[in-house]
Amino acid sequence: MKDLMAERTVDTQKLKISARNVQVYYGDTHAIKDVNVDIEDKTVTAFIGPSGCGKSTFLRCINRMNDTIDVCRVQGDIMIDGEDIYDKRVDPVQLRAKVGMVFQKPNPFPKSIYDNVAYGPRIHGLAKNKADLDDIVERALRRGAIWNEVKDRLDAPGTGLSGGQQQRLCIARAVATEPEVLLMDEPCSALDPIATAQVEELIDELRQNYSVVIVTHSMQQAARVSQKTAFFHLGNLVEYGETGTIFTNPTDPRTESYITGRIG
Amino acid sequence: MSELFNGLIGGSAAGLMVIVVLGLSALGFYMARSRAMASGGGDRRNLHSLPNYYGWNAAMLTAVPALGVLVIWLLAQPMMIDSAVFKTIPDSAIAEGSSRGLVMSDVRRLADGLDVIVERGVMDAESAATLDANTTDLRATLAAEGVALGSAVEQPVLDAAQMYRTQSSTGRFWMTVLVSAIALLAFVVSLRLATADFRARNVVEKGILALLILSASIAILTTVGIVLSMLFESINFFRLHSWTDFFFGSTWAPNFRGDSDLSILPLLWGTLYISIIALLVAVPIGLFSAIYLSEYAGPKVRSAAKPLLEILAGIPTIVYGLFALLTVGPALVNIFGRGEQGLLGVEWMSGATSVLTAGLVMGIMLIPFVSSLSDDIINAVPQAMRDGSLGLGATHSETIRQVVIPAALPGIVGAILLAASRAIGETMIVVLGAGAIAKISANPLEAMTTITTRIVSQLTGDTNFASPETLVAFALGLTLFVLTLGLNVIALYIVRKYREQYD
Amino acid sequence: MTDMTSDTPHVHGTLLQADARTRKRNAAETRFKFYGILAIAVGLLMLVILLFNIVSRGTGAFTQTFVTLDVALVEDKLDKSGNRNIEEMKKVSTFGYAPLLKAAMTDMVEKTGMEGQISAADMAGILSKGAPAQLRDYVLANPDKVGQQVSFNFLASSRVDGYMKGRVSRESIANDKSISAEQLDFVDKLIEQGILKKKFNLSFITGADASDARPEAAGMGVAMLGSFFMMLVVLVLALPIGVAASIYLEEFAPKNWITDIIEVNISNLAAVPSIVFGILGLAVFINYMHLPTSAPLVGGLVLTLMTLPTIIISTRASLKAVPPSIRDAALGVGASKMQSVFHHVLPLAAPGILTGTIIGLAQALGETAPLLLIGMVGFIASNPPDGIASGLLAPNSAMPAQIYEWAKRADPAFYERAWGGIIILLVFLLAMNTIAVILRRRFERRW
Repeated sequence: MKDLMAERTVDTQKLKISARNVQVYYGDTHAIKDVNVDIEDKTVTAFIGPSGCGKSTFLRCINRMNDTIDVCRVQGDIMIDGEDIYDKRVDPVQLRAKVGMVFQKPNPFPKSIYDNVAYGPRIHGLAKNKADLDDIVERALRRGAIWNEVKDRLDAPGTGLSGGQQQRLCIARAVATEPEVLLMDEPCSALDPIATAQVEELIDELRQNYSVVIVTHSMQQAARVSQKTAFFHLGNLVEYGETGTIFTNPTDPRTESYITGRIG
Repeated sequence: MSELFNGLIGGSAAGLMVIVVLGLSALGFYMARSRAMASGGGDRRNLHSLPNYYGWNAAMLTAVPALGVLVIWLLAQPMMIDSAVFKTIPDSAIAEGSSRGLVMSDVRRLADGLDVIVERGVMDAESAATLDANTTDLRATLAAEGVALGSAVEQPVLDAAQMYRTQSSTGRFWMTVLVSAIALLAFVVSLRLATADFRARNVVEKGILALLILSASIAILTTVGIVLSMLFESINFFRLHSWTDFFFGSTWAPNFRGDSDLSILPLLWGTLYISIIALLVAVPIGLFSAIYLSEYAGPKVRSAAKPLLEILAGIPTIVYGLFALLTVGPALVNIFGRGEQGLLGVEWMSGATSVLTAGLVMGIMLIPFVSSLSDDIINAVPQAMRDGSLGLGATHSETIRQVVIPAALPGIVGAILLAASRAIGETMIVVLGAGAIAKISANPLEAMTTITTRIVSQLTGDTNFASPETLVAFALGLTLFVLTLGLNVIALYIVRKYREQYD
Repeated sequence: MTDMTSDTPHVHGTLLQADARTRKRNAAETRFKFYGILAIAVGLLMLVILLFNIVSRGTGAFTQTFVTLDVALVEDKLDKSGNRNIEEMKKVSTFGYAPLLKAAMTDMVEKTGMEGQISAADMAGILSKGAPAQLRDYVLANPDKVGQQVSFNFLASSRVDGYMKGRVSRESIANDKSISAEQLDFVDKLIEQGILKKKFNLSFITGADASDARPEAAGMGVAMLGSFFMMLVVLVLALPIGVAASIYLEEFAPKNWITDIIEVNISNLAAVPSIVFGILGLAVFINYMHLPTSAPLVGGLVLTLMTLPTIIISTRASLKAVPPSIRDAALGVGASKMQSVFHHVLPLAAPGILTGTIIGLAQALGETAPLLLIGMVGFIASNPPDGIASGLLAPNSAMPAQIYEWAKRADPAFYERAWGGIIILLVFLLAMNTIAVILRRRFERRW
């Protein structure tokens, strides 16, 4: 593991997302406590922590998916490119076009593969004409590393693909809207090891164009794909830093306990 | 003939039998229980089962087979006697324009009438059995006792009726003998069984299981009963009336002197036209309500609006019928009729009953039906699907229109088919609101009639099961049954497949 | 994968200002949401209109116009022999009583000093056609009152009642032979004297249906009893059979094609049009088994078959809601499967079963169409049944069928009674549903 991390070059990118004093409440439950974090562009940032620690909740704050839950309240500031996304003037719909999301369970729509990918560009009006749309779909499917597998059956239903293919389709669907940030909520938890490897490889490639934030319950996965890692525990952001540092030389005893498997 | 009827008020053979058998069975319970206790030396721990099980075993064994035979006998006897007597009616007794079936119903009514006058002491049993049609004015005698006969009694009919009576009383006698014998035999056997080693609980539980199975099969029996009863009478109808006219004719004009035009097409048209209007009202309103309630409404609005809407489903159809006839119909006449005095100043509608009247009201009735079914179905669409769409930056309505509804479509289609089947089979709204004129017209402001309306009108009042005008109701009923059954089977299949998909 | 670095990333504008497309999409969102609210509003509006209609047009049936008259029960006319022999007194028909009413009217006019410009026959004409019969029934029940002056409350005729309720006006009776404008003038004077009054009408709730000519005397009571006996039959048959069938299907039935057929069958039966059950009842119970026509027993049997699927479906749901751990616990201490079901599962499922049964009964109570086919229409029974046997077997009507009968008679006075009947029917349904809801809230547990 050490060798793997030593190879990784960590060059500092410009700041993409910065969160200040973020608090999240579910009804009476204080789910996220005072989180401050800066996430860089063209970097893979991993959120790790035991289940229920709030990592997914925080991830969902970044594109305001928590708005769909009635009892959920968010306080504090989250800035993307210097703009507060919880500003009254911000339309979550526009925000989510800029900050795409991939979910834990592959969730292709009950439509054809083509329509799945074309869905985002269509609602956001990204294509000038049919040829343009075809182009966008092909590009997204290539970026999703699934083009070669589906190019002959774009009219087949997306639900007919295997789990790994479905997840890559969902990633392609997310990148088709040309987001700047890609949020991934445990994207490999429902996949087998081979599919997981394919998706991880894809994530590493996506880094060239996007700021990727990935939530994972697997420390090994975080170590494999991310440059930065944030460790959450009981709603607190305990430690945040270079992935290599977090895994080899954590400063907080809680991080160390988690990484060495004493708490889980 | 009317054993079951008499039996229920007590005093006749069947009623007495039931009481005797039940009494014997109760006696069996206590005797078997105490016999088992005695054989266990008075200590219940020596018995295989709890003492009550021995009692139940005896009670069950005594009552169930005997009562079973009784019921079967009561069901079978009328049919067997009918067919026996049916054959003996000479062709000469069948008048011009009449039929064997008509004469047979006269025979039954006469036999019943004779029973009545004997029972009331107008005539003693002896003289009733030796009546002569030529010397006694039976019609007048019976009319005095409130039994109306269609025509004067002829000798062959009287003979047949007497045969009917003798066979009935013979049947009753043998029934009494057989049922008592079975009950007694079972009583003795069950008492002998009641010893300590007897596995009473296992036997009783097997018996209970058999009763449970019997109850479950009543559903099947009902369906079989529906199909058979309508099928037989429909076959009788098609013997008297050509099936080509029924299915492909264009006129519905029943005429009780015979020679009627009885075609289903105008009725089917009215039925479908009204149902389509009803669905045009119910589907958009119901579907949008369901979408709002399941996707937008907060828990408070939902918990208030949903039960309120469902009140509409709990209101009896007769209320909607009255609403159509007395409120919606006149309101529509105010708009589309009345010429200069009307709201639109047009004279398009003459009476309160019309396709539109019935369709609108039926639509209101179906709103909660569509909305609660669609609500369930929309809720079954996984949240992940919505998240996927919202996460791509779709608005809520785009998510609903382009992801949720397409995903729920099979289920919604199923719900609409179920609503259509409801609309087609609905009776009271169309009886009161649609009118009675059978015609094929495209004007929704005209009165038209439906299959269910005609079934009601052909089968109420004086019915004569030998005339095509009455029997046609069964052919209509069968068509209606097949139509709605088809819709239901398809709809339920679609809905079930849909649910399995997201389970 | 090689060409992905070549494309240019899409540039997103500021988030702080909605672009034109987003504004358009948000407008569509608002519209869509509005359609939903509109749909619910339309649905609720219909409910309000319906209920308002029922209440505003039906409450009139619960009050009725009565005329208070002192009638001299003249011995010469009612009991010529003077020996109070009931058999002889019965020979005087209602025609013999009519003159007493005319005389009573004339007396009353003289006493109050009204100017009598209409004939005694016209004056008596404002009374119900049933008034002489009411007088006769009273005299035959109290022969000792003959020769005395007795005060009676007579029903006014339906036209007068309609006048009191605003249904009838001097314009609307221009072509009406049953009442004249002069009679209405007379009615006005009686109102002034306090002799003619609108009062609460208990006999609408307790009485029997009346003939076409006497809408003012028609009541729901006997039809209510008909419905009651039908519900009794449904309860006695449908509940045990339904529960037994559900227990078998839910607890014992093997998973095979026969069980599948039974299940599909039940869900289909639940959707068969009610009129088809009426045809079944006519063909099997009346035509084949020769059970009496119009009897609540037959109605009950038909409604039982109709209600069974509803009860089975809800009972199975409540049995399913009892967790398997309860069954395992009973089996674990050595109970047989049958004992575990009857001792543990069934009692726990009882509230749910009861709720389902009440809702099934409510559904059956409002059902009309099948009753029409088995002859349970209106104006069949003029007296309430005098026992359980006659309650089950004597011809009777039922509440919804009685309402239908009144709706058919095409007379505004009967329409009012039909709406009034609906109020009574809905009160019963409301009560039953309330009980069901309370049962569910109080006893149903969530596992």
